[in-house]
Formats: sequence, structure tokens, C-alpha cells
Amino acid sequence: MLEVRNLTKVYPDGTVALRDVSFSVEPGEFLIIIGLSGSGKSTLLRCINRLIDPTQGTITWDGVDVTAAQGEQLRRVRRQIGMVFQQFNLVKRSSVLTNVLAGRLGYVSPAASLVHRFSAADRQAAQRALQRVGIADKARKQARELSGGQQQRVGIARALMQQPRMILADEPVASLDPVLAHSILGHLEELNRVDHITVLCSLHYLDLVQRYASRVIGLRDGRLVWRGTGDDIRRMTDLEFKEIYGEDAVRTGAGRPLVEGE
Amino acid sequence: MTSGAGPADHGAAMAEDLPPLVPPWAAGLASLVIPGLGQALARSVWRGVLILCSLASIAGMLVWRIALLGHLQPTPLAMVRKAFELQPLFLVIACACFVASWVWNARDAVLRVRRRRGSPLLFALVLFTFFALGWQISEIVPSRLVTDFPQAMRPLGQVIWPWQSAVTREPQLSVAGASITVPKSPGPGPSADPVTAGQPHIVSVPSTGNLSTLDDNNQVVPGTTLAVTGTGFKPGVQVELWWVDPLRNAFRLRKGGSYLVVTPDSSGNFSVSLAMPYSIGPQEKGKDQPHRLEARQNLGFGPAHASEALVLTVQRMVETIFMGMMATLFGIILSIPVSFLAARNIMSGSPVTLAIYYATRTVMNVIRAIEPLIWALIAVVWVGLGPFAGIVALTVHSVAALGKLYSEAIEGIDAGPIEAIQATGANRLQTIVYAVVPQMISPFVSFSIYRWDVNVRMSTVIGLVGGGGVGFILVQYIRLLDYRAAGIAVWFIAVTVAVLDYVSAEIRRRFQ
Repeated sequence: MLEVRNLTKVYPDGTVALRDVSFSVEPGEFLIIIGLSGSGKSTLLRCINRLIDPTQGTITWDGVDVTAAQGEQLRRVRRQIGMVFQQFNLVKRSSVLTNVLAGRLGYVSPAASLVHRFSAADRQAAQRALQRVGIADKARKQARELSGGQQQRVGIARALMQQPRMILADEPVASLDPVLAHSILGHLEELNRVDHITVLCSLHYLDLVQRYASRVIGLRDGRLVWRGTGDDIRRMTDLEFKEIYGEDAVRTGAGRPLVEGE
Repeated sequence: MTSGAGPADHGAAMAEDLPPLVPPWAAGLASLVIPGLGQALARSVWRGVLILCSLASIAGMLVWRIALLGHLQPTPLAMVRKAFELQPLFLVIACACFVASWVWNARDAVLRVRRRRGSPLLFALVLFTFFALGWQISEIVPSRLVTDFPQAMRPLGQVIWPWQSAVTREPQLSVAGASITVPKSPGPGPSADPVTAGQPHIVSVPSTGNLSTLDDNNQVVPGTTLAVTGTGFKPGVQVELWWVDPLRNAFRLRKGGSYLVVTPDSSGNFSVSLAMPYSIGPQEKGKDQPHRLEARQNLGFGPAHASEALVLTVQRMVETIFMGMMATLFGIILSIPVSFLAARNIMSGSPVTLAIYYATRTVMNVIRAIEPLIWALIAVVWVGLGPFAGIVALTVHSVAALGKLYSEAIEGIDAGPIEAIQATGANRLQTIVYAVVPQMISPFVSFSIYRWDVNVRMSTVIGLVGGGGVGFILVQYIRLLDYRAAGIAVWFIAVTVAVLDYVSAEIRRRFQ
């Protein structure tokens, strides 16, 4: 479904964010990417929908070369891939409903959308999406009036409006408390199981990784250094752990890394 | 300025680590000869320069003020004597401070060499001298606040409570007229006006004649005497007699130095004889000029209505508010493109765009540094007196001010929502409408409303230099010493600005 081959990204300032990363994603997977801050997780996710242009390598989505896609073709790829962000990235002064409807922008006629006109079907779909994430009553509120957890639910509802075949989630729970983290990942899991949407998610907490991942890849300094399943995380040796998180990392509790200086 | 740590210490920090060049007594002596020299020899060069400049400028200003006070005197000595005579207190204080500063500067040099610290009192003295000079140069006379107060009471009172002038009652005139032809013609002249029932009526005999003239010795040669009889006037109410020349200029007739007034008898009739007046209208040879004699009776005052000053002030106030609005509108329209050029995050792409960014910023800073009042002076030269000049001036200033504010709003945009909207497959225009515009609206509205507020406030004063609006009539009324009318304008300005201040703050609060 998604094929990443020899992906390399060098930023203009010389930072090498990804080095020769290759992996593939099968339909229906819940693939979790682990790694330290700055290990290239965010860059990897953003290369997949071309928010960032990779320097080298190819990404193939359903037989389409994403790295070469331009204009209309790129937008067609993007609209099939929903994205959820650590900072939610809602338009804070727009209403929750507008934020959710923005998920349809890849499908609707550009002219009508510029004056905020959406079809009745789209509006109903937006209400249903909000209902699914449990905040249908907040539709008329401004996004900034919502709590962090509620904002992330709006983010998921927005992604849902794209009728995505895959969702990229860039540390979706890093700004939330543990209880909310489970609730948000629960929503993603439901989309994965019920709607068969493939999920590609980067996460920090290994206990969450164990609980939700069907497959895990580990990045360190832009290199893919570890592949396994959620169960493999539990059985991970200290050596493997240090391979991902560095020599200074200390393993505590259910595999939650405590890294010096973090 | 504690412990002698003057502002000069930073610049000479390196040199001051070195030992002084001379012993303390020599430094003191040097400073007595040339102020600051001792400090310089003590390796506090900047402190020395500061002292020298301070004392030199004080001396210069003292000489200037003494020369000014005694400028009619022939010799310098006489000038000084005259100056001391005129302002003894100021000059004694200033000169004493100057001498004390000079002496203290020598002491400072000694301390500087000996203990590496100077005298803080020196700078206090210098500052005090400057303030004494400043007091005299800016002609501060606090006693005037009291002595001139009685004079100011009347105009101030009129400005503070001008509302007597806000309404006027027109006198209700009852007028009867008769046509008089000039110069005297051989015929009988024009006949009297037709009689209307219930209206007063006058008849002049004759109805043609010559006006009074001046002879070569500037003596009045009286004109033809007219016998005027009036009927149908209100009994007992005085009748004024007016002359209306062919140019419709009306003036009251005099007889023997005072205004000519007659009182009709109980049946409303009167008769009076008068000499045709002296009039400096254009005189066309060989052509009859139709003059008119009018008898006016004031039958009381009509209903109260808004005075001219009030009507004019309201009109100009509306003009002022709209001037501010139009200037804001033009400012907004023009500053939007400018603000993109002045936004660093947009222009940091290449050296060329960055150069444009710096150029735009610099020009905007210069334009903003020049007050709208100055721009109005320039605009008046450009497009002439009137509201348009004010609009031009305010627009120029608004573009620079709004351009800066908007560009900072653009710089403060959160990139997160932009990438989120892009990720949904939105095109560029959709991304702007859904991610950029919503972030811009709040600061945009807030800054624009604030600028409207500022512009209306500025346009009230921009009239002072001919830029139209209420300030234009305010300055006219003040020059005509019509303090009541000026007071009405001041009241309107104050109320408008206060209301606007509140409204603009309220709108901005709601858009937060």
C-alpha cells in the first residue's frame, strides 16, 4: 500500500534528518514509529504526504510515485491520507465545524469552498464525525475554547472527513495527559479496526506502543534501527533499547524511556 | 551618578586601568585652567570631555542670555549690568552654579587621581545649572497662572460652557420698502409699492434724488432730503430705517451721528425726513441706479433654533469623522500589500526580497516618524486646503503605521494550521482562506479599528493647518475671539474622541 524506499532528507542548513530509510506498510496496519526527539519521526511522516520534500528516495502510494507527484495529482494523494498533529494544528479562531469541514477541501469544488459553502451531505458527515469522537455538542464553538483532548478529537474528526485510507499521526498524544492519551489512541484504534484505516503513528511512551501497535519501527539519528511488533517491545533487550534510545537512556517501568537531559 | 561612576566610565574602562599621568595637585590645577583636562590626565578622557562640553555650553548659553537681556547696551560691561538688573535671581544662581561647577571640577580631578573616583556633586551641579538655564530660556513664569487668571476667566468660561451660543432666535421683522432712483431724474421717479392689507407701507417724496457726497475737503455734501411717511406699522414699536444699495448691501441710516429711529403713533403712522446717505457703490454714469429705502420693525423673536456655530460644528464634525474613515480605508487598502513586503517570514527567501524588506521597513519608519500634522502641511501645498489634504496626510501616516502592525501580525502567523490544511489536499487558495485568513482577521480588525480611532482623533487637529474638518473652524473661531463657538467645537471634539475611544476599545475587546 505504502512503499518507502531509500528515503533521505537533508535540510538546507545541512541537518540530515533521514538516512536511507526503507519500509513498507500493509493495509490495515497500526504501525508505530518510535525514537527520540529529533530522530526524524516527524520528517518521515511529513515526507509521506509531501509537507516536506524528500531529498532522495521514493515513496509509492498505491502505485503512484508520491515524490514525483505535482499539483492535482499530489492533492489527490494527500486527500486520501489524513493527518493528526501533536499541536492539533486547528485554526483556533474558526468554529469546530469549520475546522472539521476543512477536511473536505480536497474533494469539494474550490470556488464554493472559498466562500465557505459546503453541501448538506458534507455538513451531515461533519456532524457524524464529531459524534464519533464524542464532541458533537461543541460544533459551534471556536476551536480555541476547547481543551487539549477535545482539540485533538477535532483533529481526528477533520482527518476522518477526508475518508482517508491512511492516517498519519505525529505524536498525537504528546501534549496530553495519560488518560486522554488512551482515549485519543482508542479513537485511532477504532478507526483502524472498524473502518480498516491504516494508521502510521509516532509515539514516545513505550507502554502505549505495546498496547496499540501491530508493528513498530525504531528510528535513531534518521536511520531505521529497529523493526518488530508490539509484543517485541515487551521482550526488547536493554541492548536493543539502547540502540534506539542511546547509551544514556535508562529503562523504567513498562518500558518508558527516561533519557538524561529530557 | 553614584560614587563618581559617570556615564564616561564605560568608554574609558581600558585606559582607566593604567596609572594617572600626573600627581593629584597637578590634575586639580590643570582642571582649573581647562575644565576636564585634569580628568583626562587621570586617564578618564571621556569624563573630561563631558565636563569640558558641559561647562563650555553653560558658558555659551550664559553669554547668549546676558547679551539678549542687555542687547540695547553699548558695552559688554553695561550689558552685564543691565542683565543683572533685569533678572538678578536667575543670573546670580546660574553664575554661582557655573563657578561652583568649575571649582568642583578641579576637586573632581584631584579625587579622580587620588582615589579613582570622582565627585557625584559635580554632575548634580551641572544638571542643576542646565535646569536653571532651561527655566529662563523657556520663559517660565508661574506667577502668570495667577495674575493673568482674571483676564482668562471670561474666555475660559465661554469655552467650558458655550451652550448659550448653540441656539439663536431670529428677529421677526416687518419690512416696508420704497424704491429710490439715483441720480436725480427729471421725472417723478418710481412710484410707491402697492399697498397690501395688513402690511406696513411707506411712501417717499420725492422718490428720486442724489446721494450724499464728499467734497474736495472731505466735507459731506448732503444728498436730497426725502420726506417719508409710513402707515400700517405696529403702534409704539420702534422702526429702524435702512438703505439698500443696488448691490443689496443694507446699512442703517443715521441722522446727526446716531441711528435714525422713529416710533409710529397710536394708529401706526409716522413721518420723518432724512437725507439720502453717502454710499460707495459703483456709480455708472448716465444710468439710473435702483436703491431702496426700508423701514424695519422688530416684532419680537421667532422660535429658537440651532445657531450657525452649532450647525457648522456638527457638519464639520461629521466631515472629520468621515475624513478619519476614508483615510483609514485608503490606509488599509494600501498597507495590505506593503505589509507583505515588510514581513520578515515572507521576505526572507532570497537576498533580493530581504533587501526589499529592509527598504520597506526603513521607508515606513521614516514616514511614521513624521507627524501627521507635518504631512498635512505638505498635503495642503500639494492638493490645496480642505478635507482632502487631511485625508492624504492621514493616509500616508496610516499606511506606514498599519503596514508595520499588519506585517507583525503576518510574522506572528502559526504555521501549524497551514500544514494541516495543506495535508487535507487543499490547494493554495483554499489554504490561504482556511488557514491564513482566520488567523489574520482578529489582529487585522483590531489594528484597523485602532487606526480609525487614531485617525479621527488626528483629523480633529489636522484642520489647524488647513486640512479640513472641525479643527479648521475651531482655529477660525479662536482667531475671531468667538470663544463660545470655539467652545462648541471643543465640546464636540472631546465627546467624539471619548465615544470613539470607548467604541474602539470595546470592538477590539470583542475581537480578542
